Amino acid sequence: MSFVQAILYFFREALVNLARGWKVSLVAVLTIAVSLFVGGAFVLVSTSLLASVERWRGEMRLVVYLQPETPEPAVRQLAAEAGRGPGVASVEVVTAEAARRRFQEAFPSLSDLVEGLGDEPLPASLEISLADPARRPPELRAWVDGWRRRPEVSMVDDDREWLGQLETVVAVLRAVGLALGVGLLVAAVFTIGSVIRLTAYLHSDEISVLRLVGATEFYIRGPFYAEGFLQGLLGGLLASGTLWAGHALLRLRNPDALLTRVLVADLLTPWQAAALIGLGAAAGLAGAIASLRRERLTVTGEETPG
Amino acid sequence: MIQFFQVTKRFPGGQTALDRVSFHIPRGQFVFLTGASGAGKTSLLRLIFRADVPTEGQILVNGRNVSSIPPRKIPYLRRTIGVVFQDFRLIPRKTVFENVTYLPRILGIDLTARKKQAYQALRRVGLAHRLNAFPQELSGGEQQRVAIARALINEPEILIADEPTGNLDPDLSWEILRLFLEVNLRGTTVLLATHDRDMIQRVGRRVLTLDAGRLASDQELPGTDPPQLDPVPSEPEPQPAIAPPGEDTPGEDTPGEEPG
Repeated sequence: MSFVQAILYFFREALVNLARGWKVSLVAVLTIAVSLFVGGAFVLVSTSLLASVERWRGEMRLVVYLQPETPEPAVRQLAAEAGRGPGVASVEVVTAEAARRRFQEAFPSLSDLVEGLGDEPLPASLEISLADPARRPPELRAWVDGWRRRPEVSMVDDDREWLGQLETVVAVLRAVGLALGVGLLVAAVFTIGSVIRLTAYLHSDEISVLRLVGATEFYIRGPFYAEGFLQGLLGGLLASGTLWAGHALLRLRNPDALLTRVLVADLLTPWQAAALIGLGAAAGLAGAIASLRRERLTVTGEETPG
Repeated sequence: MIQFFQVTKRFPGGQTALDRVSFHIPRGQFVFLTGASGAGKTSLLRLIFRADVPTEGQILVNGRNVSSIPPRKIPYLRRTIGVVFQDFRLIPRKTVFENVTYLPRILGIDLTARKKQAYQALRRVGLAHRLNAFPQELSGGEQQRVAIARALINEPEILIADEPTGNLDPDLSWEILRLFLEVNLRGTTVLLATHDRDMIQRVGRRVLTLDAGRLASDQELPGTDPPQLDPVPSEPEPQPAIAPPGEDTPGEDTPGEEPG
């Protein structure tokens, strides 16, 4: 029998076995699908979050909020001084009046709130853009700390600080997701292994005959390996399909919501889907191989002297 | 064809199944293996198709030392040996055709050729018309004939049978025995284990007798009372003529190949 013939035979037999024991096979498929879904969802969400972080990093600025009573000339002087700072690309002065207008544009429903207050309620600020937002050399950090200590400054808002915290959260999220996914995948491998062992047990009579008439180990084990592979493949397909459907549903219901844009910015790419399906198939095959590794079926099932 | 040299088989518990057994079965010979239950018949047969390995001694099957065959080569040895058991070992969820064609399928023979082979093998045992039946739809005798067809499908050099008539009534037993004799007439070496002394006496052939694992005797019985065996039932084509058991058959008593 040629290799191709053998592979075709393995998959034909595996499909028959899957159909015959579909309830048990379904458990194995669902187990692997859940593990891949959980792992895949965590990876997708964390990847989307990281992409958002990267995007925000490119837009990062330092905002120096000045004391409310700082006179206009002093503001101009501080802006000029800020423009000479290390790595500073440009400085934009946002006067108290401009800050109020921005607030009213961003939050129209709260417009009356600031209108009713007599003086300008919001402080003037300096928005400092950096030449390389992603980098924070020590001299820049020291320069920022210097601004924080100045009497004209009420607060310095550095986007980098909260983005750093967000990055840590994302890393933890990804690690937890991967650990959970790997744990579930191991459980799925054992489940598939148990299902394959059960199938092999149910076919022990046939295995005995196959050994008797001269079948090789490859020929005997092949259908079981194919069955594990197919179970994993189906699990991977189910997980990919569910992730895709979940993503589509979120985009459909709340396409503009911040959560949707941040958490599921990107659809499962074909490569990611293929990786998920391949991982499922590999896990199924591994489960089948591991389960039959120690399988020792005697040729006739007899070990006593006759 | 089959040679045992001082073969001993001991099981892990210390029980001795075979004790320094030596014999030689030449090609084409029909040999009965007999002895009481537990005498070591099954253990001896299992050693021939390498279901077990001897504790001591050497076994040559068709010139190959089966004790030292590497595991990956065992399937190729088994393809040259047909084996029939008392309990038929048919797979209930497979049709007669599927049960019979395991080996051709392993060998990658296409469906058309497999059908032809299955038809021919089943015709030899008188069951070509039951190709699509399932084992449970057959009588005990028919099931054993299917098992024989499975063993014969690749024209093996050796056919070994472990109490093949043990589950059958006397009439069916003769029918099955007749099949083995016919197979032997075609040149296949047959080693048949049975404790039916009456059958052995009536057929007459070489008889190896085991007693508590030892080869108690190795004798040639004359076919003094050839059994009148009924022909194999209803088949579209006539069966080949069968020489009465007890008469000389090709390959038997070949000069220079006397049992050793």
